[in-house]
Amino acid sequence: MTPSTNTHELFENLRLELRRGSLVLAVLAALRKEQYGYTLRKTLEEQGMAIDEGTLYPLLRRLETQGLLVSEWREEEKRNKRFYRLSADGAQILKQLLAEWQSINSSLGGMLQGA
Amino acid sequence: MELVDRYLKAVAKALPEAQREDIIRELSEDIRSEIEDKQSALGRSLTAAEQESLLKQRGNPLLLAARYRQDHRSLVIGRQLIGPVLFPFYVKVLCFNLGITFLVTATIFVALSVSGQNISFHQVFSICLLQLLIQLGVVTLIFSLVQKHLTKNPDRWNLSGAGGGLRLDLKTEKNVSLPLERGTPQVSRFDSVSIIVASGVALVWLTGVQKAPFLILGPAAAFLRLAPVWYQFYFPIVLLTVAEIVRAVINLFRPDWTRFRAVFNIGMHCAGLALVYFLIKAGRWVVAVDSTADGGSQYAHAAEIVNQWIRYSLVLTVAFVCLMLVLRVIRLVRSLRQQKGTPYIGTAAKSGN
Repeated sequence: MTPSTNTHELFENLRLELRRGSLVLAVLAALRKEQYGYTLRKTLEEQGMAIDEGTLYPLLRRLETQGLLVSEWREEEKRNKRFYRLSADGAQILKQLLAEWQSINSSLGGMLQGA
Repeated sequence: MELVDRYLKAVAKALPEAQREDIIRELSEDIRSEIEDKQSALGRSLTAAEQESLLKQRGNPLLLAARYRQDHRSLVIGRQLIGPVLFPFYVKVLCFNLGITFLVTATIFVALSVSGQNISFHQVFSICLLQLLIQLGVVTLIFSLVQKHLTKNPDRWNLSGAGGGLRLDLKTEKNVSLPLERGTPQVSRFDSVSIIVASGVALVWLTGVQKAPFLILGPAAAFLRLAPVWYQFYFPIVLLTVAEIVRAVINLFRPDWTRFRAVFNIGMHCAGLALVYFLIKAGRWVVAVDSTADGGSQYAHAAEIVNQWIRYSLVLTVAFVCLMLVLRVIRLVRSLRQQKGTPYIGTAAKSGN
């Protein structure tokens, strides 16, 4: 393995780690409006937060189990789809997470300004 | 949508049962929505190759299913031997094998106990420990080899296994495909490798049993020995095992020779039936070591009980092999008829209809 491959792999791992934390925030934010899995995926993709279905659906299930989301199966365009939306607890957590994210963002902004 | 169904079936097999239906419903909806989206953008149906590429992007069904699992148990000895993806299958296979082994061992001990033999705790413990170690070693070795392949080649898989099952692609070429044609099924290379390993282990065991009857009779080897009939049939049994290995090696290099495997299996079942027929005719499969020694009559009685159990097992084997033979013949006839009568399923898909 060459040093450049190593650096690339390292960057990829760190990038994924960084994105993983932000994904929960992005999903919760996107689900302030009720959506089903596929449209949610498209919304995230359009906003530059592409997420593969193998990550999204298990994440949705986990967030639902944690009580942050609620879901229901409903028919739309003659097909049964599972719609997700933010729960009351989810809305509260989202608010707190956004405040935390903004605080991190401003701290980082301050540090990077001097760099 | 046959390919989508097969993909979903492969994912479903690896999902926890309680959530299976719900997850598959949702995943199916997602895939179909994506296909519809692409079709409306293109203004035509997706070709087989396009569907294939769409599913390939979703990744290996085993890995996808593993992401839904809450538990991420794995087997680690120094380094990870079996990861969370295969671990549930590993536990299932191990439990099944150990269950069968201990059932057989328990039957032998019960037969010995009924016949009035003294069985010590040490004997029970040592035979159980030996069986546990053998099963643990063999099953762990096979699964760690599969894990190694899966880790090295997460994208090497296809859905051409029988019944819509997933098969790991052990090909050396990088180019992989999802063969859609029903007329060109393939023998899974994973199956072939498993059979080579399992038959190899069986051969070693067969050789060992000749020198150490303890491996099959357990503590009963102290006063029972295998009847001469087994030594007469030793060579045919080895021959059938070697033939199975040769067949698996051939199918490893020629997975498209499914008809060869079907005919070979029918031949093997017939040969197996003939073997069991002559074994049943022998009437005695174990004999007492020395019926004139102290406790000789007890030993003879034990041999009689064990022989009774073996007779029942052989009759059950005949019934099972006959059933398998009929099923295999039906399957072969059906595949021959299908090949003659069924149009090429890939043609419609490829033309986008």
